[in-house]
Amino acid sequence: MSTFAEGAELAPVSALPDAHIVSSDELSGKPKRKGGIGMTIIIALVALLWISPLVLLVITALRPLSDFVANGPLAWPQEWTLQNFADAWGVGNFATTYRNSAFLLILKVPLGVLISAMLAFALAKLRLRFGAVIMFAVFLGLTIPIYITIVPVFILLRNIGAVDSVPGLVGPYLAFGIPFEVLVLQSFFRQLPDELIEAAKMDGAGPWRIFFTLILPLSTPALVTVLILDAVATWNEFLFALILLSSDAHKTIPVGLLNFQGQFANNNTGLAAGILIAVVPILIAYIFLQRWIVGGLTAGATKG
Amino acid sequence: MGTATLEAPAVDSTVVRRRRRKYGGLSAWLFALPALAVYLIFLVYPALSSLWFSFTDWDGLSPTYNVVGLENYLAMPKDPVVIQAVINNLIWTVVTIFFPVVIGLALAMLLNGKVRGKPVIRLIFYTPCVLPLVAIASIWGWLYNPQYGAINSFLRLIGLGSLAQPWLGQDSTALAAVMVPAVWLRVGFPMLLYLAALQGINTDMYEAATVDGATKSQQFWHITMPSLRPAHYIVIALSLIDSFKVFDLIYAMTYGGPGTATQVMGTWMYFNVFQYYQAGYGTAIAVVITIVAIIVSIPYVRSQVKEHAA
Repeated sequence: MSTFAEGAELAPVSALPDAHIVSSDELSGKPKRKGGIGMTIIIALVALLWISPLVLLVITALRPLSDFVANGPLAWPQEWTLQNFADAWGVGNFATTYRNSAFLLILKVPLGVLISAMLAFALAKLRLRFGAVIMFAVFLGLTIPIYITIVPVFILLRNIGAVDSVPGLVGPYLAFGIPFEVLVLQSFFRQLPDELIEAAKMDGAGPWRIFFTLILPLSTPALVTVLILDAVATWNEFLFALILLSSDAHKTIPVGLLNFQGQFANNNTGLAAGILIAVVPILIAYIFLQRWIVGGLTAGATKG
Repeated sequence: MGTATLEAPAVDSTVVRRRRRKYGGLSAWLFALPALAVYLIFLVYPALSSLWFSFTDWDGLSPTYNVVGLENYLAMPKDPVVIQAVINNLIWTVVTIFFPVVIGLALAMLLNGKVRGKPVIRLIFYTPCVLPLVAIASIWGWLYNPQYGAINSFLRLIGLGSLAQPWLGQDSTALAAVMVPAVWLRVGFPMLLYLAALQGINTDMYEAATVDGATKSQQFWHITMPSLRPAHYIVIALSLIDSFKVFDLIYAMTYGGPGTATQVMGTWMYFNVFQYYQAGYGTAIAVVITIVAIIVSIPYVRSQVKEHAA
């Protein structure tokens, strides 16, 4: 049965899934140690190699095609231009795919985090019968490949007339986001002291008030992490979008990028610009929000 | 319920708290219901429904179909593409777990030492992981381009032009060429987990070992590796789960080709359902790999439930 030694669980074993959300500052190591020039050079070279495909992509996107063809992909550009972005934006239909992906994000992500948080709260702090069975069934969802569900999901959505529509993606996206979100949120909620809930109950608060005015505000770090990781997964999802969306007007960024890749196969600089257009929002979000992403991952996450 | 093994003052309050802390059943179910309903409708029901289709000869279009029992499953061992796909899945699993884990651990150990600019370096190695897989496929497809790709251009530049080849376009190199970006993007995750775990190891142990005359490699095998066991477990379990899902990269980079050289179970399932109109057979392929994924993952899922229910 449950050991009552709760103190032991609070120890930050960072690699374990129920560890607290670690801020990236904690991960950056002992601040006092400096130097290590040799090591720094080695790892900087490896890092440079690692990032070189992206650096090359940016440089290529900023040079004219003629310059690229004449001097080869590795030569330093003789000329710079932004024209590739204008060309790619139009041909790649990015105005539409951006709008669709953003719409999906706004529709799906907050809703997914809300219902996952509610389930996580029920599992962590309420007397939910068969809680362990439910948890097992939900966590098992982490292992289910999307492609086993695509045929029935397609039929289901066709029957309700939701095929080839962006809102139609919300249901399946929610379902595949729930396991991970519940995993992270449940372990965070568990660590909130029961005394707080007891005190709120004494004051006459019901479970809904406790959830919205106590649990959620106290869990901001976990909620932000889950929101961001879910937004990344939603923005990047490909298989459902590939199968469920057929008309150009309804495509999301990954499916649109795939089409674009086919059309721009011989225009290397335009292709590079198009890839950049597709990934720039996610890159910017990552750079500014990486603290939360790193924290969530080391709290035992998986990438969708 | 009173496991009275704890110190006296703690017992009373804990037992009282345990008994009174939770709300009754109905409101708990109201909280659980929305997520459970969505999960059942869009994940559990479709998965079970696929199991049903796998016993039929449905083509995916007709309104009717026949139940054919295990026919689809019995046909699989006779399908050379399935054999190829299984082998590719196995190679994929081993390679895209082994290399990211080893490289990620090495990077984490370097970063745990005296190195400058750690936040930037960490940022760089994790960056590929947040990009859409389709974008990664586009980037690498472009690097591999036989004429204008950076990889062949680089080989020509350093005088190894004879090694320049159509990496994605020939059987002998296509699978390896698709796995390189997979390794590239997967290194960041183990690196972050190992770094967090390494920083949790008590440095006194190393000092004591040094005093006792242990070499660096002895310290690695007898202190570092045992301390990293929980991290190994998480990294390998999650990588394994992820590896069964492989679809996007292969679909977008090679479309399973050339020929069937890079088919995996996920893509072969897709081709059967959406190109060859064999929905029954396609879902059977999906069922097989899902069952394997579940069996392999059950220890991990159980350990998670245990942790979370404790």
